[in-house]
Amino acid sequence: MLTLAIFIPIIAAVALAVLPRAGRFAPSERSLRGIATIVAAIPLGLLALAWARFQGGGGFEQVESVDWIPTLGIAYRVGLDGLSLPLAAMTALLFVVSIAYPVDFRGRAIPYLALMLFLEGVSIGLFLALDLFLFFVFWDVSLVAMYFLIGAWGHGDAQRSALKFFIYTFAGSLPLLLAILGLYLATDPRTFDMAEIIRQQPLAGAGLYATLVFAGFFIGFAIKTPMVPVHTWLPPAHVDAPGPASAILAGVLLKMGTYGFIRILMSMLPESWAQFAFPIAILAVISIVYGALVALAQTNLKRLIAYTSVNHMGYVMLGLAAAGAAVTGQEAAQAIALTGATVEMVAHGLITGALFLVCGSILTRGGTYEMGAYGGLLGRARSLTGLTALMAFASLGLPGLAGFVAEVQIFAGTLAIYPVLAAIALLGIVLTAAIFLRMLGTMFLGALPEKWRDFPDLGRVEVVTLGTLAAFVLLIGIVPGWLLGVVDSFAGPFVGRP
Amino acid sequence: MNVLILPGLPLAAAALVWFTRSRPGFAGPIAVGALIATIVLGAWAAVTEPVATLAWSPAIALSLRVDGFARVMVVLVPFISAVVFAYAAVTESDGRARLLALMLAFVAAMLLLVVAADFVTLLIGWELVGATSWALIGHGWRDRANVEAGTQAFLTTRLGDLGLYVAAGAVFAATGSFAFTGLTDAASPWREIVAAGVLLAAAAKSAQVPFSPWLFAAMAGPTPVSALLHSATMVAAGAYLLIRLAPSLAAVTWFLPAITIVGLITALLGGLVALFQTHVKRALAASTSAQYGLMFIAIGAGSSAAAGAQLVTHAAFKSLLFLAAGVAIHATGSMLLGRLRLGRALPFVAAATGVGALALAGLPPLGGAWSKEAIVAAAIETSVALGVATLAAGFLSALYVGRFQLLAFGRGGDNGTRKIRRPTSTELAALAVLAATTIALAILWLPGTANVVASLAGGELTTGSTWEFAASVGLLLGAGLLVILLDRRGRLLDLGVRPSIQAAVGDWLLLPRATSALVVAPTLRLSAALGRADDRVIDAGVRATARIARFVSSLVARRVEFSIDGVVGATAAATMLAAAASRRADDAGVDGAVEATGRGVGLAGHQSRRLQTGQSHHYFVIVAVGLVLIAAILYAAPLIP
Repeated sequence: MLTLAIFIPIIAAVALAVLPRAGRFAPSERSLRGIATIVAAIPLGLLALAWARFQGGGGFEQVESVDWIPTLGIAYRVGLDGLSLPLAAMTALLFVVSIAYPVDFRGRAIPYLALMLFLEGVSIGLFLALDLFLFFVFWDVSLVAMYFLIGAWGHGDAQRSALKFFIYTFAGSLPLLLAILGLYLATDPRTFDMAEIIRQQPLAGAGLYATLVFAGFFIGFAIKTPMVPVHTWLPPAHVDAPGPASAILAGVLLKMGTYGFIRILMSMLPESWAQFAFPIAILAVISIVYGALVALAQTNLKRLIAYTSVNHMGYVMLGLAAAGAAVTGQEAAQAIALTGATVEMVAHGLITGALFLVCGSILTRGGTYEMGAYGGLLGRARSLTGLTALMAFASLGLPGLAGFVAEVQIFAGTLAIYPVLAAIALLGIVLTAAIFLRMLGTMFLGALPEKWRDFPDLGRVEVVTLGTLAAFVLLIGIVPGWLLGVVDSFAGPFVGRP
Repeated sequence: MNVLILPGLPLAAAALVWFTRSRPGFAGPIAVGALIATIVLGAWAAVTEPVATLAWSPAIALSLRVDGFARVMVVLVPFISAVVFAYAAVTESDGRARLLALMLAFVAAMLLLVVAADFVTLLIGWELVGATSWALIGHGWRDRANVEAGTQAFLTTRLGDLGLYVAAGAVFAATGSFAFTGLTDAASPWREIVAAGVLLAAAAKSAQVPFSPWLFAAMAGPTPVSALLHSATMVAAGAYLLIRLAPSLAAVTWFLPAITIVGLITALLGGLVALFQTHVKRALAASTSAQYGLMFIAIGAGSSAAAGAQLVTHAAFKSLLFLAAGVAIHATGSMLLGRLRLGRALPFVAAATGVGALALAGLPPLGGAWSKEAIVAAAIETSVALGVATLAAGFLSALYVGRFQLLAFGRGGDNGTRKIRRPTSTELAALAVLAATTIALAILWLPGTANVVASLAGGELTTGSTWEFAASVGLLLGAGLLVILLDRRGRLLDLGVRPSIQAAVGDWLLLPRATSALVVAPTLRLSAALGRADDRVIDAGVRATARIARFVSSLVARRVEFSIDGVVGATAAATMLAAAASRRADDAGVDGAVEATGRGVGLAGHQSRRLQTGQSHHYFVIVAVGLVLIAAILYAAPLIP
């Protein structure tokens, strides 16, 4: 079933791509988008089913495997646990919304939709992959799809931003590949099977060799996350990408980095992680404070949100550093730090995804991302203002919305491990409050400039899609039990909570 | 019935008001009706002391409980709110439904805060109170000044909220749970961290020094919002939290003295500020800070009961004073104390306000006097110096409220001829209810109430000696005489000081300017500098790396060119040429280099626009670089020991 969730969109993408363009079959862009949305929703349904069947007994569930290259220990293996299930489900949801979201196809609807569907399958596959080789394949292929989406449907200096994104993150995947090979060579018997490697712990006490492998993984994941100072590919990629691609980039692709940290580094090299946990926590705090401060200086709406992503992913990293630190007696705190970090990944996906979609709508209507060009939009566009304000408050961590559920756990959990760093990181939530209140004040409140007297509000599709994300943000914010229970089934055993 | 209904009912009413906003006439009755129902539920909860738990995860459960001082708050909050809402429903016509819906949501958040029995629930209510206050203060959103005032208020209180996050984390680290009940067992140093966090959060919310100026900013909101924020909600949250938690944190030796010091400084400075203010609402706002300072002194002196009593009496008389100020502002269209003198024009309002003013000044037998005496007695028991200082703060409060009453509602002036807007009967009824409540609180003087108050709020109540009482009343009379004397001389408004000094003292002794210069401006400067540096420095490193890679790639491409497919080779050569060109440009200087890189990439990018036709030279180059890197590292790996 998981396999279907991965390959139905990929097959649909291929089918779309080879579809006879000419002749009688010439559906409108609208109906093409409708069809693509329905296809994109199939994995969401399948993952909802998987969620219903989820046991939460620790370890991987619903595993499906087929031998691929047995001599090298490579197999097609997919499965899920309390970490990957929420991420895969969030990914599927965000893709449905992003594909349904109105966007300027530039007359090339079919390749756009095909790429989005392809990227959906690949992204879900990455989160469900239980084989390092398969993981890497999905990892690299996702870059290619995103490169085309930004380059061909972006605006501004799209080609350049796309290339920068591609080369930068591809540079990150080289050390990642080396690290995977290094880890593979240490296994005995040789295997790429994640579950088996986690059981073997091949690099326990391996000294420098382990450190080198660690460094390879770390660089690869840190670029993708991104952590300061390897984050500068993110703002241009976001600014020039079309709204839905931005949403996917922030909502899904960034999570691949943090997911990799947990699934591979923390699980397969826990000793090295514990050894470097403190420096990682410092980097995380730098990402939090620096990202927020730089975001505060932005006048461009999309760059602003891009930098808040750096800040939010910093929260995730802080939680991960605390969760993997070598301390005893604080397992309960480490568990909530890990739970918080995982929920932050989901929450950030939904919230920032929605904010980037909103950016797309604003660009379509106003032609610019410069916040100073707008003002008083509340008087004209109530749905737009309401949904943006909700997501902005969610992003600054207001209780009752998803971000808070994540952040309160991250901070509370981290405080037990690194009290000083947690206290500094807390400044981030005052800064994000300043950022988003300023954004709301500049763009939506105050006097309405004459030229926006006819500023159109969101359309029906936009309201429904953003409303769906808003519903989940509220649901997680108010009654997060259904999500926290699943995540905790992973986090509790992971940190060895008694 | 579940305790969740206490915040739930106002919240549901907020939704109802919002969805019936096309019929603004419904908003007032729905809101007031819901609040009256909440008073009944609150009274029921105060008697039955219900509890509720909501599991979030195996590690976290939200818990709600009506006990201790919460039993008073669950009645007080909806009661004061109901009166203020009735007033708001007739005075606020611009966006009435939105305002009332937001105010209901605000009350709901406050009630959640009140019934919280663990730090996460507390944080939820606490932050929601802050966020809804942002929306309320910025209610007149078309004027950006209001929005910025709301932002200032929210950011200041959120800075204090950090204290609660820290406290929550520390209590979890110490006990493995967020519940208040575990607080007494928390080990050092977690206990100390909790105490520091709680104090920070409470001081910010209760507008104590140095956070006080946010209350001035909050005056940008409509008057009913000010009345609500300043009486039983928001500002009350800080003192309420301390009343609830101070007993559990008594083991932290510096905790109570620190609360006392913060309270004392605020009580004295706030009194001065209120005395020198010329803006009606700001004078009252400074008074709010000062009055909460008195409550902090009481808590610090170990008498939560005195603080609790003061919280209740203050809620009644301060909401009364604010609504009266609203009437005065509406009547004259001016917010300046020097332009009012409405005693002859609005005798009933003047009389009602007089009741509130006397209660604030602490004239027996009003309830306000009882709670003030209890605070003074507790302070004197701690130390004589603290007692004297508290008496001085009381003297100041009598002075400033006397000045306020005379300037706003004194007789004289030209009001016989002035054209003013008269208050509606609903407004007068609201004032009457609050004045009656203020008078009714005189029951605090009845024998035996001390035990009831102590059982509700916790802590000890000290009976003051006769000379304390005499000194207190003597000071009050002295203050009254002084005010009358100043008024006779025509010096009541400017107090005989230069306008610049008056303005400086009135503006929180320049505290906002200091905050702006020491905190806000440097943060913004740092932010702007980092924003520039992020583009110029960090990304420049990346661009330099890209240039080096381009150089390497051109070398590799040249070597591979002849061995592989000629078409691909030719494409690579084109890239290589572009690279070489941009490399030459690099030598021209940094600026030239950056631009040339841009052109080079642009050239390459232009070709990749037709990527669907299969021109994949980029990948070819990149894969080549990757292969070289892999080869180099794999070759070098065995050499490393």
